[in-house]
Amino acid sequence: MDRKMKENIFRIRRRMRRICLCVLILLCLTGCGSVGEKERVLQGRMEIPEDGIISKDIFRQLQEENGVITFTGISNDVAYEWTVFGSDLEACKDCNLAISVEKKDAQKIVFEHLSEENYGFPAVLSIYLNELWNAESAVVAQLNGTEETAVCTASITGSENSILNFPVESSVGKYVITPLSPAYASDEEIISTGEKEAEASKQEDAEKNSTNGSSAKDKQKEIETDSYLSSIENTTKEIVSSAESTGNRTVSDGKKVVQDEYLTDPIPEGKPMPVEPDERQVDKEKEYTCTFSIECSSILNHLEDLAEGKLDEVPSGGTILKAQTVTFHEGESVYDVLQRVCRENGIQMEASWTPIYNSAYVEGIHNLYEFDCGSGSGWMYRVNGWYPNYGCSRYQLESGEVVEWRYTCNLGKDIGGSNALGN
Amino acid sequence: MEHIDSFSSYHPIVNFAYFLLVFAFSMCFMHPLCLLISFVSALNYYYYLHKEKTAQFLMKAVAPMMLLTAVINPAFNHQGKIILYYLPSGNPFTLESVVYGMAAAMMLSAVLLWFGCYSSVMTSDKFVYLFGRIVPALSLVLSMGLRFIPRFMEQFHQVKEAQAGIRKDTSSGSIRDRMKIAFACFSIMVTWSLENAIETADSMKCRGYGLQKRTAFSIYQIRKRDKEVLLWMGICSTYLLYGSLSGGLFWRYFPSIRGTFAEGFTISILLTYTALCFTPVWLDKREDRRWKLSRLKI
Repeated sequence: MDRKMKENIFRIRRRMRRICLCVLILLCLTGCGSVGEKERVLQGRMEIPEDGIISKDIFRQLQEENGVITFTGISNDVAYEWTVFGSDLEACKDCNLAISVEKKDAQKIVFEHLSEENYGFPAVLSIYLNELWNAESAVVAQLNGTEETAVCTASITGSENSILNFPVESSVGKYVITPLSPAYASDEEIISTGEKEAEASKQEDAEKNSTNGSSAKDKQKEIETDSYLSSIENTTKEIVSSAESTGNRTVSDGKKVVQDEYLTDPIPEGKPMPVEPDERQVDKEKEYTCTFSIECSSILNHLEDLAEGKLDEVPSGGTILKAQTVTFHEGESVYDVLQRVCRENGIQMEASWTPIYNSAYVEGIHNLYEFDCGSGSGWMYRVNGWYPNYGCSRYQLESGEVVEWRYTCNLGKDIGGSNALGN
Repeated sequence: MEHIDSFSSYHPIVNFAYFLLVFAFSMCFMHPLCLLISFVSALNYYYYLHKEKTAQFLMKAVAPMMLLTAVINPAFNHQGKIILYYLPSGNPFTLESVVYGMAAAMMLSAVLLWFGCYSSVMTSDKFVYLFGRIVPALSLVLSMGLRFIPRFMEQFHQVKEAQAGIRKDTSSGSIRDRMKIAFACFSIMVTWSLENAIETADSMKCRGYGLQKRTAFSIYQIRKRDKEVLLWMGICSTYLLYGSLSGGLFWRYFPSIRGTFAEGFTISILLTYTALCFTPVWLDKREDRRWKLSRLKI
């Protein structure tokens, strides 16, 4: 009797314990199905059919699966691609993604959208040229008869043949793309130093430090009197005229042939010499402005190389920070401004101090890191169209300069910056 | 032979395979629930084996390491979408790196606890039994080397005490004198270890080490219960491998935290993992229960 009671108690206890365990585990687990939003999936490439129509079912599938797809097509020997992000889609309808390229030469490309209505979602159009455009960016303008109205700028990537990437907002009508290489203050400094050398070669050294002074301004006036035809160059001329010397930055004479103590190759003639961070004096009272932008459109052309899990971080237009005017204090470097701009805009950025180059090295911006898109990928910076061959902590900014941070997938070759890495 | 628990009385191959599996899974599965399961079960088993020594081990080894990992990771890892604040270096301090730091701490401490269990279950005689034939030299060197460290420490302590007894104390005096004494101790230790090596070699020779056709005595044999546990481990690990390879345990910490939680497949994998991790304790409890029941029947 007693023994049986004990046996029963044992059994009941065991059962109770089991039930408790099961309930506990179920309670723990039935909180939510998964953590975070649905992850983006790369769905590869798809050829655009001859009539150009992509059915709404494909778009709906793209939207449901949060996919990214590249639609490819060829017109008049020019290949083009649409990169569509499922997260951008709202209403799904049949879309005609075909374009017809009408004219292409070294300085111009004219194409027409075959669609009769707007797609209703932003997409990036990449046009693969058959030649290399030696320009910083390109201007996309809408053609109305003979009238051209600039719509947006296209970033140029590609190492052998240029690829033009630009977001398309209106997908009707005819467009023309022309390369753009604005004239910057630094370009004029080449002219001024060059002339001065011809005038007085003996007093070279003494004058070099004052190049940025009054004589440069005189030259600017001369250049301003020259007529610039295009409206775009007029806007950049404003930048030119507002350029003035700040701090103790000097311009390279291009005569040095050896590396400096921080392994920097000789600076090309007319380009600013590096200013060491400990030599810079930040004057908080003097405020200047510069143009600042961060973009990674080269990734859109290499989506298949992107590291796992990073697709979510790629902005659908390829632009992380649109070109905007930012203020800085005298004596601040490109790195100082990048750090502040990223903080103000809540953009993640990681950098590490590298003593052998005496500069900070930017490892990643917006969670897109070096080596995330192939072994030759990483961040580079361009100021006034030139990729400095020294670190961003050593580039002292001057008023009106245009700073662009760009992501490269091939050691700078694809964004026109292979010079910065030396030979 | 005396055993600390029922699981250590199983065949060495069962013990070794089990710990190998548990180490591998603990290190590979970074899903937070997997880490939690592994940590809790390791702690449970450690307590089962060591009882009151557990608290000491936790305080002295596990807790400092956990703290260190959880603090160090966000200081050096700045990936992540949710920025909490900025470090003096200018780099962001992100929520994701904090979470990852905690996960890494959990993983390391779980592995540490499992190692604690391993060293008391897999004694060196079991290890030599398993690997004595496959890699005789290596297993001998391993077991001798591992034994050498505590012996060396013991001897060093003795030498220090003896030196202190003849007024050569290292705890007081000028730096020069103390250095002198320390060097003397060190020289004594080197001499001792060399002498010890010769003695060991002689002793081994006397006992016939290296003779052909020499067999070692062992009383291990694979019984039915060993086969059952091996089969159980095989089934569990196959399902776990299949589950993790097919994405059932998907979890990502960077750049934003994403993962599966309450899907049926994930739950089934987690339950399997729990069952595998609690196997030794469960086997021992079963033994206890049988013992009690059989005693009741008398």
